[in-house]
Amino acid sequence: MKDDDQVSEVGAEVGDLESWLVEGYPRSFRTACLILGNRSDAEEAVQEAFLRAWKFRASLATGADLRPWLYRVVVNTCNSKLRQEIPHRDRRSGEQELAEVSAIDDVPGRIALSQDIVKALQDLPLHLRVVVVLRYYADLSEREIAISIGRRQGTVKSRLHEARRLLAEHPALRADVSDDSSTDSEALR
Amino acid sequence: MTMIDEEVLTEALRNAAEDIEIPDGATERILAAAQTTRPTTPSSRLRTLVPRSGRGRMVLVAAVVILVAGGITLPLSATKSSPSKTVAAGPLPASSVPKSAVPVPGSTAHGTAGGAGSAAPGTPSINGATSSPAAPPSSVPPLPTGSVGQSAKVEAKGSVSLTIGDGKLSSAMTKLTNLVAGYGGFVASSQAQVGPGDASTPSAGTIVLQVPQSSFASLLSQVQSVGHTTSVTTTSTDVTGQVVDLQARISALQASRQQYLSILAKATTIGDILAVQSQLDSLQTQIEQLQGQLDVLNSETTYGTLTVSLAEAGRSPVPPPPPSTGLGKAWHDGVHGFVAGFDWLVRIAGPTLFVLLCLAVLAVLGRFAWRAGRRRML
Repeated sequence: MKDDDQVSEVGAEVGDLESWLVEGYPRSFRTACLILGNRSDAEEAVQEAFLRAWKFRASLATGADLRPWLYRVVVNTCNSKLRQEIPHRDRRSGEQELAEVSAIDDVPGRIALSQDIVKALQDLPLHLRVVVVLRYYADLSEREIAISIGRRQGTVKSRLHEARRLLAEHPALRADVSDDSSTDSEALR
Repeated sequence: MTMIDEEVLTEALRNAAEDIEIPDGATERILAAAQTTRPTTPSSRLRTLVPRSGRGRMVLVAAVVILVAGGITLPLSATKSSPSKTVAAGPLPASSVPKSAVPVPGSTAHGTAGGAGSAAPGTPSINGATSSPAAPPSSVPPLPTGSVGQSAKVEAKGSVSLTIGDGKLSSAMTKLTNLVAGYGGFVASSQAQVGPGDASTPSAGTIVLQVPQSSFASLLSQVQSVGHTTSVTTTSTDVTGQVVDLQARISALQASRQQYLSILAKATTIGDILAVQSQLDSLQTQIEQLQGQLDVLNSETTYGTLTVSLAEAGRSPVPPPPPSTGLGKAWHDGVHGFVAGFDWLVRIAGPTLFVLLCLAVLAVLGRFAWRAGRRRML
């Protein structure tokens, strides 16, 4: 499940960009995709993030956890993109692109909720969206997320709580619940 | 409160993410770009702490501006306050006042510059120097340098409050009149209020003396020997710039008037003559106004004005002395201490608040800069 679980310690891997990419790129790219809602932006952000991380690899303290550090670089790059570049463009196209991708190989009963989750995710404020993606997709612990976003663990916890509440109240997910109350009503509690 | 289930959320997000295809050749492109990227050592953190663009740089610029502005403002405020330096104290015997406490034009001092009793009339003493009334004292600080080609024009004013003996108001005013006459000056105005003899209406008076500028300091010193000085205030203003300006404007207007006179001599029609005459009248009015202002300034800079307030001792209502022992004294001391403490608190609150504000701004800016630097580094 964890594509980058192996990249947990700084050691011989630190200098090995290729192993970083093999183990961390897919999950980093998908994380960026979910945060940014756009494939091309995500690709640029992750490329920039890996190059930055590679450039500053010496600044990572010995014994420090590589995974949250790497995610921190990715998240910061995504933040930069959202602040500096994307606001000047039409983000609608990006959202549609991600939704279309999700609908490529639809499996009945599975993709509907995923699509709605993605849609609801894009409507979340950025600071909540980031913690949701890091926690429930990248599978980072709250402590690792705190390192990744440079905030306290309590902040992460409260943001996750707020995000789950907002997601449950999102109209798309409410519709899912009403359409298929027998299965999804348990999902909302 | 309704919240979405974590497992459902995890599964849905993973399903959504699995449908996102990884771009072809992305890792190869990164590897190729990394070939030209040199690793940066931790020592380069310092460089990255200086943001090259965006909010971080703005924050740094704002911090620098605030520091520079603060650095300029504080010394300026300290400099501005120096000319109006004020010293206040109660009456003291004349012999206890140092000679250096006698103010000179250009400074302001309220205080017990009492009496100068050691200086006999006719031998004014300023800053330890003794001279005759006619000769200006050598220790008087030089007047400010005037404009180019123009001697300094300084307007000196002062006021002295004196306490004199009971029933000596009339003689004190006579003494002051003789004193100013000895310096070549005159009494501009005087006013006296003589009480009937009881303590409720003490005798008091005010006399305004005009004295040549060169003798102002000497007169000031001599006046203090008439009684016990309770306060002295002197101010001097350099009006050289105004004088030069007025003179220049008058010269320019006179030149214009000369031109118009030439035109008037050549005018042939009545319309032309009237038009030029109108201009000449306007010019003449302006010249006279400016000339009047110049005359006033010249007069003010020729003579210094000293206002002397006289009050008979023992006639002014004296507050009851505080009790010296017992509960009353303790109460008095307590109240006095409370007022002094409150006064101190109010006085210290302003600077403290300012310092705290500066520290808070710096802390916020520093935090922004630090975070921006770290973000930039990553």
